[in-house]
Amino acid sequence: MIEVRDLVKRYGSTVAVDGLSFQVRPGQVTGFLGPNGAGKSTTMRIVLGLDAPTSGEGLIGGRRYAAMRRPLQQVGALLDASAVHPGRSAYDHLLTLARTNGIGPRRVAALLESVGLAGVARKRAGTFSLGMKQRLGIAAALLGDPAVLMLDEPVNGLDPEGVRWIRELMRSLAAEGRTVLLSSHLMSEMALTADHLVIIGRGRLIADCHMRDLVPDGESLEDAYLRLTAGSVEHGAAR
Amino acid sequence: MIASLSSEWLKIRSVRSTYVVLAVVALAVVIGALFVWQGMAAFDGLPLDRREKFRVIPMEEYMLPMVQLALGVLGVLTITSEYAHGTIRSSLVAVPARGTLLAAKAAAVAAVALAAGQAAVFATFLVTRALVGDRPIPDHGASVAQQAPQLLLLGLSVAVCAMVGLAFGVATRSTAGAIVSVVALLFVIPAGITYLPAPWGTRLSAVMLPNLPDQIAGSLGWRSEEVVVGPWARIPVLPPAWAAVALAAYVVAPLAVAAVLFRRRDA
Repeated sequence: MIEVRDLVKRYGSTVAVDGLSFQVRPGQVTGFLGPNGAGKSTTMRIVLGLDAPTSGEGLIGGRRYAAMRRPLQQVGALLDASAVHPGRSAYDHLLTLARTNGIGPRRVAALLESVGLAGVARKRAGTFSLGMKQRLGIAAALLGDPAVLMLDEPVNGLDPEGVRWIRELMRSLAAEGRTVLLSSHLMSEMALTADHLVIIGRGRLIADCHMRDLVPDGESLEDAYLRLTAGSVEHGAAR
Repeated sequence: MIASLSSEWLKIRSVRSTYVVLAVVALAVVIGALFVWQGMAAFDGLPLDRREKFRVIPMEEYMLPMVQLALGVLGVLTITSEYAHGTIRSSLVAVPARGTLLAAKAAAVAAVALAAGQAAVFATFLVTRALVGDRPIPDHGASVAQQAPQLLLLGLSVAVCAMVGLAFGVATRSTAGAIVSVVALLFVIPAGITYLPAPWGTRLSAVMLPNLPDQIAGSLGWRSEEVVVGPWARIPVLPPAWAAVALAAYVVAPLAVAAVLFRRRDA
């Protein structure tokens, strides 16, 4: 369970998140939607303790992220798949993260196998395509077998087979009772993957409801999303 | 902390820049040996009356800045490469206790820098003294056992430079900015400051990092009557204890500021 309460984040005079509250429940895939600059990534960074909120809080399982010991065993996150040292191998990249949380090399090798990177595990990550980096990022998020997953744009750059793999992975993780928060701009993909939606614009909550309640018969998620966010599109926002 | 340390150790071992830095250190030893080899050839060609005035700066002093800079850069890269590639976020997601993450980085870099620094200093000493042999060259007569305390301090100063580099890297979050700051603090300012009018040149120069190991070493520290300005001016002013305090301050003060910034800022 992820809880965001009255969250506010200002960067100078820019308000990135403006009194945002919502909950992400276990057992379903929750889609996190909003135009560029709506505050999705900022909200995720605050929940993960990377950025300090101006006010309010983000909690996971009722606790602040920064207070967790071995957090990878509770929460898995993919924020930016291209964030790898280009000279480090995929295996070493995962092992540096695993070691901090007492996770062994066997788990690293098994994950590389399951995300389809076993054959390139010793290759430098700088040689990877965006799709391969996404798979590496997913593997990093799954290292500690966490009950909560937060993934920012995990399908960017994936081939059709990879897109389907992510979709089925997210759905099976949610079916196991895990909490899955997934952000994406791909509405057709989100319509296939998510059960529940949280839509924000300009840092505020626009909708927090079940997919069925948001999209009337005969309309697509894209139509419903564009209708809801029509007033919130802000080009050139800071973050 | 042990878990974070083993992760940081693997981070250092698993990128090529570390091995480039260590290659530069090895090169410094080779260059020092070549200088002395060439110097000894010149010495042997001199008439006896001119041999008395022949001087060589000990190569463990002369080549030390190259080693210090190399490990200073390693200290910088340890953190700025994480900002440059965005991995700082995954590192902090894995280790949200920022003080722990920074301490683990500092410990891992310090270990590498200390080992590299001591290896370079002792290797340079042993190789160059072997090349000098029994020629009566000033400052080259002591055995490694006699000179060990000073040599250990020179090696230690390399680790201090790595810590300064790490701290500047945290503060600037920029590889170029941090390296320029390291070069300024460790090399440009110390060399330039000796040209200030007396007594300020000597006084300020006494607390510059390159001068501290030899002042701590006291009577074992290298000094030269001939060299009074520039990067190799060594005029002992501070008593060893105060010089030791100053050397410690070069580690503690930058790292303390870095720790405060690292905890406070958004990643």
